[in-house]
Order: sequence, then C-alpha cells, then structure tokens
Amino acid sequence: MTSTMDLIAKERDRLLQRTARVYGLSFTVVSLLCLSIPGSIDGLAYALALPLYGLVGFAQARLGVSRSLVWVAVIVLGGLGIIALACLVGAGPGPSGVSGIAQLAAASIASVAIVLTTEVHRRVVLGVVFVLVAGTEVTLLAPHQSPLPTLALLVLGWTLSTVIGFWISAAVPQAARRIAQIGRAHRAERHASETEAQRRQGARLLHDTVLATLTLLAHSGVGVAPEALRQQAADDARLLRQLRLGATPTPQSSGEYNLETDDEAVLGTTLESVKQRFGRMGLEVSWHGTGQVLLPSHVLDAFLLALAECLENVRRHSGVTEAHVTITDDENTVRAMVTDAGVGFDIEDVDAARLGFKESVVGRLQEVGGKARLFSSKGSGTTVVLEVPR
Amino acid sequence: MSTSTLPDESTLGVVLGRGRRRAEATRRVIREVAPRRASLGTGFIGVGAAVVVGLRAIYGFVWFLSQWNEYPDPLPALGAWVVLAGVLLATVITARVGGEQLPDWLFALFVGGLFTALVLDLWAIWPLHDIGRNATAAVTAGMALLVVVTLRRARDILIIDGVLGLTLAGAIVLNSSLAPEDLGPQITSLAFAVLPAAIGVVVVRGFRRLVQVELDRVLVQSTVQAPRFAVGMLASEELARLDLAAEELLEAIANGRTKLPLGPKTASSAASLATELRLHLIEGRRETWLYHAITESDFLGKSVTLVDKGSLAGLLDPQQRDGLLSTVWLLVSDTTKNHPTRTVQITVGPATGSVETPNGRRIDVPIVITTTGVPRNRVDPATWEAIRRVGQYADSTQNSSLRVDVHCLVANPADH
Repeated sequence: MTSTMDLIAKERDRLLQRTARVYGLSFTVVSLLCLSIPGSIDGLAYALALPLYGLVGFAQARLGVSRSLVWVAVIVLGGLGIIALACLVGAGPGPSGVSGIAQLAAASIASVAIVLTTEVHRRVVLGVVFVLVAGTEVTLLAPHQSPLPTLALLVLGWTLSTVIGFWISAAVPQAARRIAQIGRAHRAERHASETEAQRRQGARLLHDTVLATLTLLAHSGVGVAPEALRQQAADDARLLRQLRLGATPTPQSSGEYNLETDDEAVLGTTLESVKQRFGRMGLEVSWHGTGQVLLPSHVLDAFLLALAECLENVRRHSGVTEAHVTITDDENTVRAMVTDAGVGFDIEDVDAARLGFKESVVGRLQEVGGKARLFSSKGSGTTVVLEVPR
Repeated sequence: MSTSTLPDESTLGVVLGRGRRRAEATRRVIREVAPRRASLGTGFIGVGAAVVVGLRAIYGFVWFLSQWNEYPDPLPALGAWVVLAGVLLATVITARVGGEQLPDWLFALFVGGLFTALVLDLWAIWPLHDIGRNATAAVTAGMALLVVVTLRRARDILIIDGVLGLTLAGAIVLNSSLAPEDLGPQITSLAFAVLPAAIGVVVVRGFRRLVQVELDRVLVQSTVQAPRFAVGMLASEELARLDLAAEELLEAIANGRTKLPLGPKTASSAASLATELRLHLIEGRRETWLYHAITESDFLGKSVTLVDKGSLAGLLDPQQRDGLLSTVWLLVSDTTKNHPTRTVQITVGPATGSVETPNGRRIDVPIVITTTGVPRNRVDPATWEAIRRVGQYADSTQNSSLRVDVHCLVANPADH
C-alpha cells in the first residue's frame, strides 16, 4: 500500500528532524556558553553574534517540525556569520572563542547533516554545505589554530551526524518490514479468531440449552428434581465438551435439541425434546396442531429458542404447572401460540422488565424475519404468539 | 406468563463496562503478541551507535597518540585506552550474541570499565593541569555509553552519564585552570563527554515511539479486511473461556461433586456465567470493524469517539475503510504528544437514500468527522487524499477546528 510507505517515510522524517533539533540545539547552547566567556571574542562581535545565535536556535527548533530546506540554509548562514564575526572583528578569538567556534562548526551546524541524507538532492546540498562550512572555518581560523586539528574535528563532527542520519533512515524501513510481518500474522490471527467465534456462536441451540440450565442453577435449582437437573447438566456438559474438541455437536437420543446443521430440520422431533426438557423441570406442556414442519435450520433455531424462552417464563412466573402450545402453519408462516392459565400480568407494568423478552424472544425472531405478540392481563393468564416465515 | 429478566442477571452494568474492559484486555493480548515491541529494530540502531562510538574512539586515540610526547607518563593513558577498547568490544559482542540484552551484572562491569578508563586517563594528565585540552579516553568514555543506549532503560543511561559528567567536572574544578582563556576547552570536553549519550537517549526514545505507533497502526489495519460485523480479537477466547467454565460447572453437578440445591455462591457464579455467555452470544456480533479498530488501538482509543447507531461502517469496502482509518490516523497521530487535546469524532449515518452509479445502485452513507484542536491549515496534505478514498467530501471549520462531511457510497447489503 502506497499510503503505508508514505506514512513510514513521514515517521522517518519526523524522527530525523527531531534528532537534528536536539543535537543542534544542545551544541548551540554549549557554543554560546564558550563564546560568552569574557575575552573569548571581541565585545562588539559578541553583541552582533547574539541575535545570530537566536536566529540559529530558532531555525533549529523549526527544523524539528519542518522539512523545509530554508531552515537548513538559515542555520548554515547564521552559523557562518557568527564564525566570521568572531574571527574578523577586533583581535579575533581567544582559546575559549576557538572552542566555541569548533562546537558551532563541527556539531551545531553539522546537525543539519542528519536531515540531508534521505534523497539525492539533499545529499548534494549536504556536500555543498560541508565544503562551505569547512572552507570558511579553516580559512578564518588559520591565524589562531593550525588547519589540521580544525579540519580533523570538522570531519569527525560531520561524519558522525551523517552516519546518524543514514543509520536512522535505514533503521526505520527495516523496523517497518518487521512490523508488517507482525501485522500479517495478526491479520491471520484475527481471521482465525473470527472463524472460531463464529463456530461457537453458531452452536446457538447448544448454548441455549446451556443457558437455560445455568439459569435454573442460578436459582439454586429450586423447583426441579435434583436427578433431572443432574441429567440435564450431564447432557449439556457433554455437548460443550464436543464443541470444545472441535466438533459441531450431534444430536443424541437423550439430547435436548436437534443440533443438526442440515439445511432443513423437522420441527416435530425437536419439539418433542423441548417438551421432555420442560417435563423434567415440572412443567407439563401439551402440544396441539401440526407435528411435522420443515424449516430452514436457522429459522428453526430461532423459533425453538423463542418458544423455550416463553415456556421458561411460564414455568417460573405463571404459578401453574401446565402450558399449551399450539403449532399451526400455512404456506408462508409457522405459528406457535403459547398459553397458560396462570396469574398473568398487566402489560403496562412490565416496561422495565421488557429487556429479556425483547432480546431473547422478539430479537431472535426478528433476525429470521419473524415476530412475536404478547397478550396478558392480571388474573387471566398469558398468551404469546410466535411467527416465523417458512 | 410474564416477560422476565432475572434481577441478578440484569446486565446493564456489565454492558456499560464491558467495551472498555474488553478493549484493554485486547490491547494486553496484542502486547503479548509482540512481547518485545519496543525493542523492534533497536538492534540495528544499537549497531549504528557502536559505529558512531567507534569513529569517535579512533579520533580520540589518534589525538592521544599525537600528544604522546606531552605526557609526563603516557602509560596510564594508554592503559585507559586499552581498558576502554576491551570494554567496548566485549559489550558489543555480548550484546550481539546475547540477543540484544544486557544483564545487570554485565552493565555494572561495563560501567566499571568506563570509570576505570576515566580515572586512568585523569591520572595520566593530572600533572598537566589542563584536563579540557588533554583528556582523550576520559571524554570518549562518556560517549561510549551510546553502545548500551538501546539495551538499558533511559534512566540507567542518564544516571551513569550524569555521574560521569560530574566526576569529570569535579576533576576539572580541582585540577585545571578556570581562567577565561582555559574555560572554553574545559566546557567543550565536558560537553563532548556528556551530551552524546543524552542525545542518544532522546533519539532511541523517539525511535521506540515510532515503532510503537507503527505497530499499533499495522495491528489495527487488520480490521480493514474484517466482515461487516466482526467479533473483536478477544471474543473467541472469551467465549471459549465461558464455555469451559460452564462445562466444568455442569460437569461437577452431573457427577455429584457439587451438591443440589446449590449454595448461594455457586448459584451466583452460575448467574454471572449465564449473563456473560448471553451477552457474548447475543451482542458479540453487533460491532463493526471500525469500533474494533478504535477500541483496540492505544492511540485511537484515547482520542477518537465513534457514533454509528446503524452499524453502517460495516458496509464500507476495504479501500474506503483504509481511507477512513488513514484519515483518522493522520488527524490524531500527527501530534499526539504536543496536542493531547486533539480529538476526533466520527458519526456514521443515518443513510440518506440510494444513488444510481455506473456500478449499480449504492446507498449514500454520510460520514461526519468533527475534530477539536485540529486547525484546517495544520492538516497533513495526505489526509485529503485518504478522505478522497472514502468518498466525495466537503471540509469546513467548526469551532475553529476541522470538520469534514463525506458522502460514502456503499453497496446495499440487500442486493446480495
């Protein structure tokens, strides 16, 4: 992706610029310190050099955030101006002055080399700038210090900052390649994670029987025969183990739901298992109407889940131990009517508690294009109508 | 019959807290994926630092040889160079072989070597009473800290650098003339000894930050290929963990290890298990790639908020996603450090209707990007190019910060 390369180049430039800034500013300060020692350079030269130091420092700070070569030029010309002032005005620099000039030429100005390594035209600028600075300094300092040590320090300073520049430029793409490798591995991992989550979430029937059992347990299993609950727990644990071992659990004779992943599944056998399940928990479910209906498996899932959720509500809240489920179907719709003769409730009163119904019944049916309607009033039982398309 | 939610399974609190917790857990996982993310590529930087120190050492050694006749007794100074060279070589080799690590005892040995070189060199030039002009190995010893700048924490380097500098400064004050004509060379030597390591620390820190930002970006980039609704990186692990916990609980009940009826503690753990499981099953798939990208990222997570009620971000194709992610990245990462007040809010949708395009009917999903602390003229030019990949846009200024309205055309999922 080109944008990735651009971003990396940008990051690299930013790092180079910041390096150049901290490098340059540090030595500018040291150089100024040396020139500020009394007698190191002529007083007038010092007074004239001070604003130039300000200029160089400002340009170095700007260099930290800007790629523009203008700031490089300001640093170089400002630095050379200071050297010229120190050497040409008055009696010329004393020993401390020479130190300050050396700091300026070999480190402070040399810091621009760090940002001049990335492209050919910048490298050309680097060469020109080095020759300019070296020529000026060696010539102007010649009366005060022999050219050899001056030049040696200059070469060292400029070599070091150039090496730093090249090295950072090379290190960033290298790191970026390693990071890209990690990114690829991460993408594969995200994909695997997604697939695995899909597999587990896909086992919704299994999870719903597990959830129903867990909900019973959350109430300490009160109201259910311990033996039945243990049996239920054993079935569910076995299915979960199968899921964990990578299989999509298959229905067993004692299983609660038909967990086939065929495109179409028969409603009848699965209804029977729902009935058994509630029978164990003490709710007698009477079935009426159609026994055998073919439904796409995801629709069947949603339908059964919603149905089981309704029956669970009857078991827990109606106060009766019997419920009636009537299944009817026409060419477009399969409909289940769950009725009980229990205590009922006022629909206006259950706003706060709606969430469960919405999520587990209405939400599920809507996902497969179905709907649910609820009728109840205090003292006259409850009826829920569930509809799914065929 | 009644509609019911069990009070102990009321999950609103859990829902509210979950996103953040999950995001943090995900970041933890990502950190484990790249356990040494900070050290990525610093090996190369370390070699570069060694090269720089090597060049400096050659210069210093040549300077020392040229001064040979000035010394009353050059042997201690020569000894200093031998010690320094030995320590540097040993450290560079150990670091290479030992996988870019420097245990404490080796670091102590390294520092001991540096101080030995410093003391030997000072001893040799003490009678000359001008440390600034004559110190060679002592100055190089300070810079030699650069060799370990990638191997140790910044604090270690800076402390040792400081102590070395103070030692050198103390020796200069005790031994050398501080007259104006001599002060300059003293300051110069001190600066050449102390500053390189300090600058090195700053550079390495910058480099590590770069690596971290880049890694964060690349990891988040993987969401671009995600399906319309995705689970986060952690979802399957969490689901597996919950499934296992449920299995163990049910198993214990089935084989009678846990007695019925359950005690209140087990009952409440069953309740919370059911709650968490339900949340993962029902809600896990409602989040889009963009939500995951933002919550999983250290950098975006801090300053980007997303409003996407219809989960429409999921409809964007990979190119549009890449553009949107790059845009946000450029707006936020540019100055994370200097402007912590920069924030970005992305509002996706609601869809405004469909448009006929050469590629078929498309839904127009408006995306509004509002920002704080991002002046229009400070926006990176690459940002516009990135936004263009999302769709047609118009930019304006709102509360003196950038606002972009993008018309993003996406395929209608109902057409497939």
